[in-house]
Amino acid sequence: MKRLVALALCAMMAIGLCACGDSAASGTGAADDAAAAVTAEAEAAVDDAAAEEGEEAAPAEVDESLIAADGINVCIASEPDNIDPALNSAVDGATLIIHTFAGIAKWEQADDGSFTIAPDCVKELVEGEENEDGSVKYTYTLLDDLKWSDGQPLTAGDFEFAWKRAADPDTASDYGYMFDQIVGYDEMTETKETGEVDEEGAPVVEYVNPDSELLQIKAVDDKTLEVTTKQRVPYWNELLAFPTYMPVRKDIVENEGWATDPSTYIGNGPYTMTAWQHNSVITMKKNENYHDAASVTMPAINFYMSDDANNMLTNFENGDWKLIDDVPTNEIAALKEEYPDEFVVEGQLGTYYVGWNVNEDILPADSGLEGKEAEDARAEIRNAISLLFDRNYIVNDIAQGGQTPASSFVSSGLTEADGKTDFSSKAGHNDGFAGYYNVSADALESNYAAAIEVLKKYYEFDEATQTVKNFPSLTYLYNTSEGHKAIGEYLQSALASVGITMNLENQEWNTFLNTRKAGNYSIARNGWLCDYNDPISMLDMWITDSGNNDCQLGKGAHKDVKAYSLDLTDLGYDTKVENGTWAETYDVIIADIKSCSDPEVRYELMHRAEDLLMSTGAICPLYYYTDLYMIDSSVKGFFSTPLGFKYFMYCTVEE
Amino acid sequence: MNPKTISYIIKRLILAVFTVWVVFTLTFFIMHAVPGGPFVGEKAISKAAQQALEAKYGLDKPLSTQYFTYLNDVVHLRFGPSLKQRGRMVIDIMADGLKTSAKLGVVAAVLALIIGVVLGAGAALRRNTILDRIIMVLTTAFVSMPSFIMGSLLLVVFAIKLKVLPANGAAAGGLILPIITLMLYPMAYITRLTRSSMLDVLGQDYIRTAKAKGVPAGKIIFGHALKNSLIPVITYFGPMLAYIVTGSLVVEQIFAVPGIGRAFVSSIINRDYMMIMGTTIVLATLIVVMNLVSDILYKVVDPRITLE
Repeated sequence: MKRLVALALCAMMAIGLCACGDSAASGTGAADDAAAAVTAEAEAAVDDAAAEEGEEAAPAEVDESLIAADGINVCIASEPDNIDPALNSAVDGATLIIHTFAGIAKWEQADDGSFTIAPDCVKELVEGEENEDGSVKYTYTLLDDLKWSDGQPLTAGDFEFAWKRAADPDTASDYGYMFDQIVGYDEMTETKETGEVDEEGAPVVEYVNPDSELLQIKAVDDKTLEVTTKQRVPYWNELLAFPTYMPVRKDIVENEGWATDPSTYIGNGPYTMTAWQHNSVITMKKNENYHDAASVTMPAINFYMSDDANNMLTNFENGDWKLIDDVPTNEIAALKEEYPDEFVVEGQLGTYYVGWNVNEDILPADSGLEGKEAEDARAEIRNAISLLFDRNYIVNDIAQGGQTPASSFVSSGLTEADGKTDFSSKAGHNDGFAGYYNVSADALESNYAAAIEVLKKYYEFDEATQTVKNFPSLTYLYNTSEGHKAIGEYLQSALASVGITMNLENQEWNTFLNTRKAGNYSIARNGWLCDYNDPISMLDMWITDSGNNDCQLGKGAHKDVKAYSLDLTDLGYDTKVENGTWAETYDVIIADIKSCSDPEVRYELMHRAEDLLMSTGAICPLYYYTDLYMIDSSVKGFFSTPLGFKYFMYCTVEE
Repeated sequence: MNPKTISYIIKRLILAVFTVWVVFTLTFFIMHAVPGGPFVGEKAISKAAQQALEAKYGLDKPLSTQYFTYLNDVVHLRFGPSLKQRGRMVIDIMADGLKTSAKLGVVAAVLALIIGVVLGAGAALRRNTILDRIIMVLTTAFVSMPSFIMGSLLLVVFAIKLKVLPANGAAAGGLILPIITLMLYPMAYITRLTRSSMLDVLGQDYIRTAKAKGVPAGKIIFGHALKNSLIPVITYFGPMLAYIVTGSLVVEQIFAVPGIGRAFVSSIINRDYMMIMGTTIVLATLIVVMNLVSDILYKVVDPRITLE
């Protein structure tokens, strides 16, 4: 009897385990309805898998048979969230997409290391014809015999479909705004308030005409694509090389899970995905249907996935992975020594900065200042505080990733109209140094003295200890990470030395984003990486209604502060504002930049926009980002673009 | 089987369903109360786009409506789509993770049990010898060392210094180190448990009687002593499973094992509501069921225990 009970219990346990397994397995067969009966096929597949697993001596998660033996093994990140060209917004996803799709244009690296945009699926990147209203029509002619990886012909209609789909409000892509220069975009994304409010009391908005057919994108015939932009867009060709602009085919993407399964992930690029072992490895093999397959030298790529820098380093050191895109921060110094040739520091288009909430009153309670005077005082104080930080110490001793100390918001690496001169080298209009502060090591003392002078003006100052007395205490908000914490601690100590108390508060990532966006902070860690090589990519985020306006410029109480002046009459505009609000000045200049077609004037406008932005003191840049990676010295022909997209197709591995 | 046992099992099953429901409800409301959301990113999408996405996944409805809709879905085993990995279903992601985690957990549990009982019995039978001392010192070390330290240590020695095993849990043979890391604590615990309970049993009158009657030593050990000394080990079955499930969260992170534990952690960071609920329900069900089974087994091996 006892045995029977034991047996029954064992059976129950087994059923319990199987039940879990079954409910899980049913999903693979019938993704849309998990409750549906498991299809015979799926069941068979599960059985097969189980049988295979049983035969293995050691537990092996990766099916080695799916891995390309002749491929290069690399690791750029962990499992991507999405590799649908329209939906991806991550740099690692972009790298995967440029290997499987080919757009109108592509990035190329010249022998001298400089980057150019070259035609990919088209005969040439046309200049475009200017219409009377200033809009520009581009007519592209596709190459002959373009094919998808499944052999079907690729047409201009596929581009039209893909672009409209990516920009469509229904798709709700993070990068839908990459199409905002195309005629019809503004009309399509126009919203109105419905009059209702959501649970948090914010007004509910809805689109007026969310119809992507409004976009001026048209396939005239199978080989001709016409697109009209609102005006001449200086970075238009670069947009054409951006993953969001890659073509997709209607019948493929109608299956919602198409981008998660190699069998349905059909592209037109240099590679096709042959296997995706989730969380482990994505394998790609050369696509013989790619129009320029002859120039692709690497027969296959295995993109391993890991989110642990230590783990990546281990695999790099034992030779399994030839490139890793992340290294443990505390190993950086040692790795630079040990692997001088393999350890690469590449500039990135982005800035790490400290952002103030402009609605946080930092003046002493009895200052008696109001309106413009108070705002000017706050701006002066914030800018003074920016002078207190030793950015060389931050990059050399804390961040340690080869970053450059920042003296402007627009990142180094973004160029002037000539495409060569660094935009940041002309920022700030100062003699002897570039940017809005002198961040060289020997300017430390003079910066400090200048900052003290300003603080003395507004606060009680103790000469004996050289500290201010009545500065309201601040709280520095950052997202939980050792690196951000170390920088926060340094900022805290630098402020403490002049008598300012700054507490540190860390929040988990998602909460942090929310808090910062809502403006529920006094001062916070911030950072921005560009989407394309044009300073507007960093400047337009500070307009009043921008969703990324974390400093709350022109929002809340700051909305009515009339403290800003703008005079563009010398550039041929009739804009002349004295003591205007943020919306009357900054929003105006950004709109002017967006509609400006003269490159010289446009860049001058962008410098002035940055001047205005920096005059608020709301932004305290600390350093320009860098991309660190390690690449085995046997790999030749590899390059990484300024946006961080990594190109493996032209690689060879020397034995 | 006596009716009392059956009614006990039924009672416990009802309680199990209730427990999972409580966990479900708490998680659901706490998750929505936490600031942030699945569509919040470093680069903000427009308000209208965000509202469109929320409408697509039904997140624009009142929380109570969402709760009942989702509860109904879960009862019908529909876990919905992932909010972060758009295009993939939660159940597919969980299936991928669960396959790996189950392998990791089951192998670790079985090894812990076998090695633990053998070492424990060995130590008890060779009490106060060198073997006993060595086993006791080692198990003390394993019990007191947290898994993240043990994991890192094994990683450094075997993957980095000796380079005999891969550091990546997804590579061939990559589960060996995670299994060892996960197994050591319960193994050491079981060893100590078996040893003390075996010593206790060996001192009992019926063992002395058996010896006096001339029963061969082997039969005494396997037929009488070991069997009875395993009762405490069985009671440890439930806690061990809980340890393995929670421990795997850490171990999967260290060794980059693509299991359900890692999916669980990242879903929380991403506020992937569907994924959080799916993984919570699966893990909660697993623990509740295993605890129930261990309680029932307990009764089976020791008839003196009454189930009420």
